[in-house]
Amino acid sequence: MRFEPFVALRYLAASRRRTHVALIAKISILGLALGVAALIVSLALLEGFQDRIRRQMLDRAHLRISPARGARLADADRVRDALARVPGASGVRAVIEGRGWASDSAGTAAMPVRYRNAPGLDDAAGPTARVNASVSLRIHSGEGEVIRLMSSRIRLSPIGPIPVAVDARVAKVTLTGAMDKTPEVEVSEATARSLTGELTGADAYEARLADPGKADQAAAVVRAALGDAYRVQTWRELNAPLAFALRLEKAVIFVTVALVILVAALNIVSNIALTVVEKKRDLGVFTAMGATPTSVERIYLTLGAVIGITGTAAGVAFGVGLSLLLERYHLVPLPSQVYLVTHVPFAVYPGEVAAVAAFALVTAIGAALLPARAAARLAPGEAIRLSR
Amino acid sequence: MLAVQAENLSKTYTGEGAPVTVFSGLSFELEEGVFAAIMGPSGVGKSTLLHLLGGIDRADSGRVEVFGESLEELSPRDRARFRNERIGFVFQFHHLLPEFTALENVAFPDRIAGLAPRDAERRAEALLARVGLAERGHHSARALSGGEQQRVAIARALARNPNLLLADEPTGNLDAAAAQTVFALLRELHAERRMTTILVTHNPELAQRCDRLFTMSREGITPSIRLPERG
Repeated sequence: MRFEPFVALRYLAASRRRTHVALIAKISILGLALGVAALIVSLALLEGFQDRIRRQMLDRAHLRISPARGARLADADRVRDALARVPGASGVRAVIEGRGWASDSAGTAAMPVRYRNAPGLDDAAGPTARVNASVSLRIHSGEGEVIRLMSSRIRLSPIGPIPVAVDARVAKVTLTGAMDKTPEVEVSEATARSLTGELTGADAYEARLADPGKADQAAAVVRAALGDAYRVQTWRELNAPLAFALRLEKAVIFVTVALVILVAALNIVSNIALTVVEKKRDLGVFTAMGATPTSVERIYLTLGAVIGITGTAAGVAFGVGLSLLLERYHLVPLPSQVYLVTHVPFAVYPGEVAAVAAFALVTAIGAALLPARAAARLAPGEAIRLSR
Repeated sequence: MLAVQAENLSKTYTGEGAPVTVFSGLSFELEEGVFAAIMGPSGVGKSTLLHLLGGIDRADSGRVEVFGESLEELSPRDRARFRNERIGFVFQFHHLLPEFTALENVAFPDRIAGLAPRDAERRAEALLARVGLAERGHHSARALSGGEQQRVAIARALARNPNLLLADEPTGNLDAAAAQTVFALLRELHAERRMTTILVTHNPELAQRCDRLFTMSREGITPSIRLPERG
């Protein structure tokens, strides 16, 4: 072992027997470990929720073709054929959507909604609908109850123009997901066409892909086939504002929680500065024996590195361990009536853990630089003279 | 050839209070191979002079040459290397590092020079044996008696086989018997290794046993007194 780490490690080992230095060194390591653990757990929590959101994004359509101008597709069959020819595409379906009002059967509570057609609804015994929880709550209508959906379209009746309306039985109340921007009602294609009056054609076409990661390539194929009259969007583009918000959220959390690591770094500065003062005489003696200022600086940088490595390793072990335990045993439950998930999810990504560890290490060693440079500048003669 | 040549040295300490001028216009020289003593009352700058000669402090003005090398002209790195290779220090309070064993303390100069730990410790063992402490190598420095600590400090100062040994009151903290032992050891090692040795002491009896005696006072340092050969 080189001279500098040999001295630094012995100082740390010996300082355990000296209570005040030992306490401050332990506090430095503990502070750094807590900061690292806090950052890892925070990011794991964020990733846990964001994973769910990403999964929700992928549960929906991966490609959407809508008209570049206007509300309806000019040539729906051509769009459908173009989508069907995309390698790996499945579930190609027409989208019919519109806006209207939903109310309970008595018409006492109503609210504006967006409706769209969705597969899996059985209209054999009359129109059915899936409503999300916020709609169900506002119009006081649960599963099995009948709601009235009114279109913004009107028709003429013997008593004059009245809105087109459909009474539908609530087949299912879905929990409000992170992706739901507005209150939404899903109905069968026939009901949607009835409400919009679009008996043929479609407002848009959607498809799913076998590999959502290749959405950009698939979009390029469709764009080449259809030209500029159509707007081709991948699931990434459809969710771009949300994806940006998720990235921003992660950056803000990182910066905020990283402040704990910076506070721990200040503690390292004071710890090493204290050791420099305590070992001032030793510095003088080392210099008298021929140690260069660089050597003296290295002793204290090694101290910082040891504190940094120990604190970071402890923090990584604690943070990763805690996150995995919380995820494995679902230790933070959530009421399933309110949330889409039954527990607070945690997801640990090695790349993020490595980034946190690197940040903590660089900060710790950077913190040691200041007192280490001060130690290297100490006049050895003065250090010996004053420590008699 | 001159081992040490100092010309017109001035040194003032500027601390929190008023500046204290330790000496001004001090000149000193010593030939190679001489065992010299410097005496004088406390506060006249004997230790400061040793620090300036050893290059661990810098004079405000004047110049110091050691074996023809001007210390002022060396970079901090080269000055450190020069100290490591050619100068050994023994301090009044031994200044052994308490976290390390006697052996590790003695091995430090070699380790600073870049020797492998095993080689440095092997050389340190031989030095400890030479100062009569072969059995005490693995004891903590703080577990040794005052005389033993000072002998370890002497062994450490000799680790790099220096040409110049600067000893700042090495017996000042010891009882009479231990002081005699340490002084005798210094004389033996001086002769064995053909070093130049400068010993600061308050003990006139020991000073009389050196080759030369310098006396420092507020007015400066007296010309060298060549003492008669003992024997």
